[in-house]
Amino acid sequence: METYQIYSLTSAVLFVIGMGGVFVSRHFIKKIIATIIMGGGVFLVFVSLAERDALTFADPVPHALVITGIVVAVASAAFALALARRIYQLTGEESFTNDK
Amino acid sequence: MMIKEVITVILLVVGCFFFLAGTLGVLRFPDLFSRLHALTKADNLGLGFIAAGMALHIGSPWAVLKIFSIWFFTLLASSTSCYLIARFQKEKDQARNRKEEG
Amino acid sequence: MSIMIDIILAVLAIYLALQCLFAPRLTQTVFLFFAFGLALALAWVRLGAVDVAITEAAIASGFLGVLFLDALRDFSLAPPLKWDNLEVVHSSLATKNPKSLFLPRLALMLGLGLFLLIALEAVWKIPEGGGLTAAAEALLPESGVEHPVTAVLLNFRAYDTWLELGVILLGLLATFAVGGIKIYRKPPVVADDILLRQVILFFTPVLFLFGAFLLYFGKSGPGGAFQAAVLWGAIGILLHLGGRPVFSMIPRWLGQLSLTVGLGFFLILGFFLLAGGATLFEYPPAYAGVLILIIETLAAISIAAALTAIFANLNQMNKEESNQIESTN
Repeated sequence: METYQIYSLTSAVLFVIGMGGVFVSRHFIKKIIATIIMGGGVFLVFVSLAERDALTFADPVPHALVITGIVVAVASAAFALALARRIYQLTGEESFTNDK
Repeated sequence: MMIKEVITVILLVVGCFFFLAGTLGVLRFPDLFSRLHALTKADNLGLGFIAAGMALHIGSPWAVLKIFSIWFFTLLASSTSCYLIARFQKEKDQARNRKEEG
Repeated sequence: MSIMIDIILAVLAIYLALQCLFAPRLTQTVFLFFAFGLALALAWVRLGAVDVAITEAAIASGFLGVLFLDALRDFSLAPPLKWDNLEVVHSSLATKNPKSLFLPRLALMLGLGLFLLIALEAVWKIPEGGGLTAAAEALLPESGVEHPVTAVLLNFRAYDTWLELGVILLGLLATFAVGGIKIYRKPPVVADDILLRQVILFFTPVLFLFGAFLLYFGKSGPGGAFQAAVLWGAIGILLHLGGRPVFSMIPRWLGQLSLTVGLGFFLILGFFLLAGGATLFEYPPAYAGVLILIIETLAAISIAAALTAIFANLNQMNKEESNQIESTN
């Protein structure tokens, strides 16, 4: 078993854990963290495939894409966090409720 | 050459031991202050041993300087954050005591 | 032997992700998130992606973790504003028959299990395409830098980086839209702590120097604009936490300039390159090295300013209103 295979299998597991977390967890912060974990799974596929295609160095294009992707994920998570805090401030709710 | 490697391994093992002790302290100690004590003291010592082991292993003077500056900055940052966390907890405790008394 | 390390790391990452999502307390979730980010960063190092590892540890684990920690102050330390709401939630939970949740949960578990199998199979069977390593290697001498990842980020795919600067700025504007523009506001005076002040005074130049080193080192090794930007952004966050928010101390136009200079320089450069008959961001090879260094510096300034501003705005977000509520009570 190669190194990249271990990590690409891990990435699938991480993605599914994150997806389950988005469904199951109630609190806003947990939901946001679950999406970040999902994203981490996706980035892991890219980088493990970059390692598979290595010649003298690993494939730099997926690396660059992942660096870009991490920063974009952080910007969107910051926005989601701002929304969550605003909702909490206005309604006092920490999660989505259907009882309204 | 052999002696250098043996010393490196010993330093790394001692460093790992202190990390283990620190982690055990965080898990087992009862309150925040003793946990902070375990975390900052034991872990920084462990990091120092590991840094010394790696410095001996690499051997080039610039790398040694870099490794020890990492250790130095970690020491500074962790002791400061330890102090800040402890101060926050102390202020919270004092506020609660005042409320209970008044 | 070395494959054992990979297996342990993989198991550790999965374990931390699970613990993070199912921890009973929110504080535990946030701290396990830090740990998960660091485990993932170690995985990037094992895969030879040191640039990604630095970015992950600094932005995804460090900066985002700080934002979550700051949000915890709202969510777990402050008492909920409306107690009536909580009662509604509790009563609705109590009236719901626990059995009624069983079928949806079973369906969810089955669906996730099925999806996991499909995803594992899909990842296992990704065809060998060869990738773009050979192409990148062939063009590396013309790119103006020696490090392939920097070459891709700032030369071959400069378009992505340009738009990414736009996305970060957009993220900042979105937090403005949600919580109001509060970065120019002076926070209430914090107790001046001599130790904290001395440490901030010590770390500010060190972080600046280290960021500049990473920026310049990106030409030939792991490092570059993003990694430098996070370190510079950390200066802004430190100063803000020490009661000296950067944006309220410098003139407004300077703050706005530092936020937009990266995006703007890319735009002007692209315009002149297009006007000169080249395609967008096709640098003349003779000047590529200098141009990339200028772009990286300006982009790092912009990203650092944006990260500082995002933190400052989120940190100030609910402060004033909660003070008002306390005073009216």
